[in-house]
Amino acid sequence: METILSVRALRKSYGAFEALRGVSLDFHSGEFVVVVGPSGAGKSTLIRCINRMIDPSSGGIEFDGVRLERARGAELRKRRAKIGMIFQHYNLIGRTNVIKNVLHGRLGHMPFIKSLFGLYSMADRLRAVALLEEIGLLEQKYKRADELSGGQMQRVGICRALMQEPRLLLADEPIASLDPRSAETVMNHLKRMTEQRGICCIVNLHQVDFARRYASRIIGVKSGAVVFDGKPEEFTADMARAIYEGGEADPLRGAAGDSVSDGTDYIEAAATPGGEYAAV
Amino acid sequence: MRLSDKSRVKNAAAALGLIAVIVAAFTYLKVNPRDILLAVPRFAGFFVRNFLPPDFSSLASYIPLIAETIFFALAGTCVSSLLALVFGFLISERTNSIAPLRHTARVVASVFRNIPVMVWAALLVYIFGIGSLVGLCALVLGTLGLLARSYAESADGIPAGKAEALRACGASYPQILFHGLLPEFIPSWVNWTLFSLEINIRASVILGMVGAGGIGIMVQTNLRLFKYAEAMSLIIVLTAMILLTELAVNQIRRRLK
Ligand SMILES: Nc1ncnc2c1ncn2[C@@H]1O[C@H](COP(=O)(O)OP(=O)(O)O)[C@@H](O)[C@H]1O
Ligand SMILES: [Mg+2]
Repeated sequence: METILSVRALRKSYGAFEALRGVSLDFHSGEFVVVVGPSGAGKSTLIRCINRMIDPSSGGIEFDGVRLERARGAELRKRRAKIGMIFQHYNLIGRTNVIKNVLHGRLGHMPFIKSLFGLYSMADRLRAVALLEEIGLLEQKYKRADELSGGQMQRVGICRALMQEPRLLLADEPIASLDPRSAETVMNHLKRMTEQRGICCIVNLHQVDFARRYASRIIGVKSGAVVFDGKPEEFTADMARAIYEGGEADPLRGAAGDSVSDGTDYIEAAATPGGEYAAV
Repeated sequence: MRLSDKSRVKNAAAALGLIAVIVAAFTYLKVNPRDILLAVPRFAGFFVRNFLPPDFSSLASYIPLIAETIFFALAGTCVSSLLALVFGFLISERTNSIAPLRHTARVVASVFRNIPVMVWAALLVYIFGIGSLVGLCALVLGTLGLLARSYAESADGIPAGKAEALRACGASYPQILFHGLLPEFIPSWVNWTLFSLEINIRASVILGMVGAGGIGIMVQTNLRLFKYAEAMSLIIVLTAMILLTELAVNQIRRRLK
């Protein structure tokens, strides 16, 4: 398996508080990695440092042979264009229709003027349609994104990310706001579509049972450090308990619930990454 | 539930204080409320005798001025909404990451917001003399601050995640602005702009009274020439115009979602 992402001694501190304390990991193409850990463990911080939505305090990130931690401006945008991301709250543009939301995945690959007039190439349009068909949303393609259900929105989110033709896909709690059935649908699509394309997928999850079912590799994070890294079979109930100890109530029950809170709200509010367009 | 003694004392003190202020105001102005009440019948009599029935005979000659007034409001709203858009995006955190620039723009907008249209008009007439352009400028300056701040607040209300998602796709700043923020911003943009149109229609009527163009000047002139019935016809037409604008604006609002 080809290594496409290496994280080395990654640290992130907020003032005196260390959210990540020196994380080193290698990721390979075709892997479906699930990162588990209690709320506040640093899962979001880790995933957001990888595509530099957050600037790490120190450490190295090598993606596809390029050092991301030093990239800036146009160079950084070019790299980000090759990394898909999906979010807990889907983050679609609600007043824009579904197919355009999917095509947004091409923005990083085209100049502003072309995108302004919606001049996506025919190949891109066809691919967007094919993706929607594959994920079962072709009928909704001209609907406004805010008219969809949560599960449908997340599927559009997956299409937008895959539209980037990424080699790496990051997912931060993609099913935390979904009911169990939609959660399963979303995870099935995510797993199948990334597997078929040989994409490395890193997913943050709260639910240990989902992690066991889908992951090809589980990484346990606690207090900003990796405390488990191995196959799902090796991730025992005792191990899970140890990771979540002192965290929230019984993660082993773990069915998707709407009470799950993630750290993204303040992260979104406070993150000021280094690109010159930080505020947007 | 009974209020505690302490809060009752507080309430009583507040009420007494308020009454004292009102009495002081009337005393200072040497206005006797009894005189006001007695003046009502006299005023009503004068109004009925002189203003009614309204004289619509020369209304046709006022049509160009009325049109000018409406176009003032439309043009003023147009220009100020575009300027305010730039200004608003300078103020909002979503669109401007340079804190000092953001704060400066905010201060400038607040200053503008607190200067009424009529003050602008008076000032501009004093500087540039009587004329239509002066009225337009006054309308623009008068609504610029309010609009800029409202736009900025609406932009701040767009969830950060939307822009973040496009940033994660590798989109550039203008792409994030046009594909992510503007679509989400359009409803509030239209809403606030319509609101400022309502303000501007009202203001443009009054602007004429200080010589800044529009129909206001004729209301003023007719009153000065004691042509009350003619002035009345104008007042009726202008009131109808304002009501119609409001009606139209509400229709547009309802259709927009
Ligand atoms: N912008 C920030 N300012 C201060 N502390 C933060 C910020 N973002 C995250 N943190 C802290 O970093 C820790 C890790 O957060 P996060 O990565 O969101 O955890 P997780 O995603 O595992 O729930 C938390 O304790 C959180 O309080
Ligand atoms: Mg999180």
